[in-house]
Amino acid sequence: MPVISFNKKYVYGLLGSGIDEKKLEEQVTKLGFEVESVDSENISLEVTANRLDLLDAVGFARALKNFMHKSSKFSYEIKNKEPAFSITVDPSVKRIRPFISGIAAYGVKMDESALANMINYTEKLCETYGRNRRKIAIGLHDLDSVKPPMSYKASGDMSYVPLGNEGAMKFSEVLEGHEKGRQYGSIIKGAKKSYYPALIDSEGVMSFIPILNSDRTRITTATRNVFVDITGTSEYAVNKIPDLIAASLMDLGAEVRKVRIDYGKKHIDTPETERRYITIPLSKAEKEIGVEIGYNNIISLANKMGYEAALIGNNIRFSVPEYRLDVIDEQDIIEDIAIGYGYDYINPLSVFYSQQGSLEERTKFNRKVVEIMIGLGFSEMTNSYLTNASTNFEKPCIEDRKEAIRLKDSKTETISMMRTWILPSLLSNLGMSSHERMPQDIFELDMAFCVKSGKPVESHRLGCVSINPKSNFNEVKAAVEGLLSALGKEHSISEYRHGSFIDGRCAEISIDGKGMGFFGELHPKVLKNFGIEEPGTAFELDLGRFYDKLRAEP
Amino acid sequence: MVHRYELSVLKALKERGGIGLEELISLASIGKDEAMWSLENLKERGMVRIDYEEDERAVLSDEGRDYAESGLPEELLIRRINAGEDEIRPSDLDDKGKLGLQWAKKDGMVEIEGGVLKLTAEGRRAGAERMLPDSRLLKELLDNPGDGAAIRSNGERLRRLEKRGLVRIEKHKKIKRIEIDEKGIEGLGEGVPDSIDSIDRSIIASGAWKGMEFKRYDVNVNVEKQAPARRHPMKRLLDDLKDAYVSMGFREVSGPAVESSFWVFDSLFVPQDHPARDAQDTFYVANLDKAALDDVPHVKTIKRAHEKGWHTKWREDAAGQMLLRTHTTSVSSRYLYSVINDFKQNPDKYELPIKLFSIGRVFRNETVDYRHLADFYQMDGLIIGKDLTLSNLFDQITKIYDCIGMKIKFKPSYFPFVEPGVEFMAYSEKGGEWIELGGAGMIREEITGIRRSKLSVLAWGPGIDRILLIKDPTISNISELYNNDIGWVRDRKGA
Repeated sequence: MPVISFNKKYVYGLLGSGIDEKKLEEQVTKLGFEVESVDSENISLEVTANRLDLLDAVGFARALKNFMHKSSKFSYEIKNKEPAFSITVDPSVKRIRPFISGIAAYGVKMDESALANMINYTEKLCETYGRNRRKIAIGLHDLDSVKPPMSYKASGDMSYVPLGNEGAMKFSEVLEGHEKGRQYGSIIKGAKKSYYPALIDSEGVMSFIPILNSDRTRITTATRNVFVDITGTSEYAVNKIPDLIAASLMDLGAEVRKVRIDYGKKHIDTPETERRYITIPLSKAEKEIGVEIGYNNIISLANKMGYEAALIGNNIRFSVPEYRLDVIDEQDIIEDIAIGYGYDYINPLSVFYSQQGSLEERTKFNRKVVEIMIGLGFSEMTNSYLTNASTNFEKPCIEDRKEAIRLKDSKTETISMMRTWILPSLLSNLGMSSHERMPQDIFELDMAFCVKSGKPVESHRLGCVSINPKSNFNEVKAAVEGLLSALGKEHSISEYRHGSFIDGRCAEISIDGKGMGFFGELHPKVLKNFGIEEPGTAFELDLGRFYDKLRAEP
Repeated sequence: MVHRYELSVLKALKERGGIGLEELISLASIGKDEAMWSLENLKERGMVRIDYEEDERAVLSDEGRDYAESGLPEELLIRRINAGEDEIRPSDLDDKGKLGLQWAKKDGMVEIEGGVLKLTAEGRRAGAERMLPDSRLLKELLDNPGDGAAIRSNGERLRRLEKRGLVRIEKHKKIKRIEIDEKGIEGLGEGVPDSIDSIDRSIIASGAWKGMEFKRYDVNVNVEKQAPARRHPMKRLLDDLKDAYVSMGFREVSGPAVESSFWVFDSLFVPQDHPARDAQDTFYVANLDKAALDDVPHVKTIKRAHEKGWHTKWREDAAGQMLLRTHTTSVSSRYLYSVINDFKQNPDKYELPIKLFSIGRVFRNETVDYRHLADFYQMDGLIIGKDLTLSNLFDQITKIYDCIGMKIKFKPSYFPFVEPGVEFMAYSEKGGEWIELGGAGMIREEITGIRRSKLSVLAWGPGIDRILLIKDPTISNISELYNNDIGWVRDRKGA
């Protein structure tokens, strides 16, 4: 879940009087979010990924004020349908970054903290929902510095003064030489060389999209009228995000106007801010949540969550706030009603159950095996399924037959594959327990993995190691025989060769001629490889195969 | 160690070798029983040599023993006549009296005159004696089975008693000579225990402990404690949780750990461009074929849900990628799909609600350190039924944690595949704070492909590691759970 940080003074200013830290924290938790930390400057919150409006201090204050019934502004519809100006989209951007939208806001109450918040907010949006600007990127401009007409196109290698730069740079130079170019250049890498997406007005480059704006149109604390551009690869996202940003600009006192995006054959005016209505019978909400709400309370609950709501017969008509892109249908509304009602007040209601619970047969079998192993004096271990070739193959001196499931791009050096057997995990445990007293008898019953003709195979295996100064072949054989006779299965023992064991002191366990496992005295070089300095014996059983044999019995 | 009695025996033998048993008993001043088992033990340990000889002995039969104690029948009859209180006729006698009359007449001690019993002169003489000679011999044999010498001196009388079935003459081996051996002389140096130290088989069998003190031990002695074989606390917890689910009517299910993106992400409405799907966070597998999804009809429902909900093109190709599951909700998803698919075709087949759970390992591509692990455990619960509510969800989760002694609370949260979304947490006494356990919610209709008015689905999927972290006072960070330090597993406190 995203963590965001707001300027504390700015947030309290937006919330108005009568809210202290304690009350804030309490209300935030009820809304389903969390105050991570508060210091003298900042307040950090954890919000859920669906609520993009809360990445903004203004949106956050709006939600909280609604929740405390301190606000009654529910509609952010733009009544004036006339676009303030238009942007022409050149077909050349189609294969690079096809979509753009815009917002024109007049009379924004701007100051240092409002500006800082607006920049942080849009950056955070690009980072999270925008997938680091790949899906969408947002640019803020001083509208008075923009000289329409505007066009969005893939241009040649133009020159402009990038934001915060003294001199002019070419697009190609920004990509190679500027920090932002290096950071985001890969987004437009697919494009033909010397074909750069850019937003251009009559005075030249406004923005090298989605890398860096021009210094000429930079937004400052003196800015009163703001232009926002949104570009991206998702038409839906590019057309919806303006609704979200428009709501914040309106809360900052601006009159927001539409911008016409002219794609040639079609056009769209953004922000669209179309009112959406979702109608639900009250009984349905009550039934799904499992509480009684009543007609008297439902409207107030809706308002609390930012919805305007009206009773129509037995139904409630909710109008979805323009900034709530996450609300898809009635299921989302019902959740908001539940949050408004308060999860703390929803009493657990028992579920009738008529059926017997049951464990898987495998689980029951494994429990028996564990019981026997404990009875034989072995303690249980629980190791990671993840390992590397050195531990799984090299240290135990066995051949890597390329049957392991290999992992891509692991962040941890010691993880590159899934274990194919259990003993290396146990030997690693013993290598780190040399300070513990003897004897050391351990086992693990869990999964190991391999690849068989391109498909994963998961099997339950039982591994067991015993080290002590007197450990020997007879001892491990006695344990194996003890286990197998307790499980009640006829088996045969034959000589076996295995890299981890001393040749001539290793045997295979077979049932009906099928190998089920092996045991023996561990080879000194294997013990040494794992840092063990006492003699040791071990066995490993393919318990899954063994179990299938047992089950196959008439 | 040589026992006290054994020592007495050895001392006596050292003083005078080649003696018999009687002599040894008097020399060593011990009882016959003690002498016998001492000799037995000493002989076994090669400390004495014993020569035996053949001998006879006279042993009482049961009848003989009886007469030895109460007197012979004829003796009793004579005493009765001698007392002379009234006249006794043969018809007055009981069986034993008749037997006495028979022997008394045979020995000429009683005669019948005019139908009345009278003592002869012999009888009167015998009546004056305290005891008949036969009776005296019986009494002697009772105390001390006669040996060869005794048999010889009482030859005739014994044979008579043998004939009457009162005595048996048996052959037996008798100690003739006892001699101390070299080992015995060494044994003399070992000294006498004044009390029993460790107890062995021979002490119990011989009764040597009788009359002996047991050496007192220091109960505060320092010992190295025995390390019991133990279960791993994590595995034990998994079993406890499974039992909790079963007790509430849940059926255990399981599914693959190496899974396709489809069941881990797509079927759970995680958009294909979601950061959680990046190789940054998820382990993708390098050497497996992509999963074939063409035979999963559910793919169509999911494709529709994604394209409508996320407004992007959904690629089946990406859904086939194989990875290590990031949650066990993939197992729930597989079962959810198959149950609903069945249900749609045959709504009456199922007794609702259906309650399922699974517990298994999940994986994150993390940089592993003492606080972060790349694989850990998760459990998933799933209830499919009619008219299920958010309050039902709260109830079931609360009860599961109740089974393992934990109180939880709920708050709103967001996961793409549920609505309403829930997060629940438990209070940690140790940390003095609420700790998040996991997420839950009602599965979205887009995923089930069926309206909630017909069927609703409750689901939850919390991690398990934190339960131990909260409950076990000895565990301070998650990696301790998996460090498999043998000492930690064997010696940890708490059953």
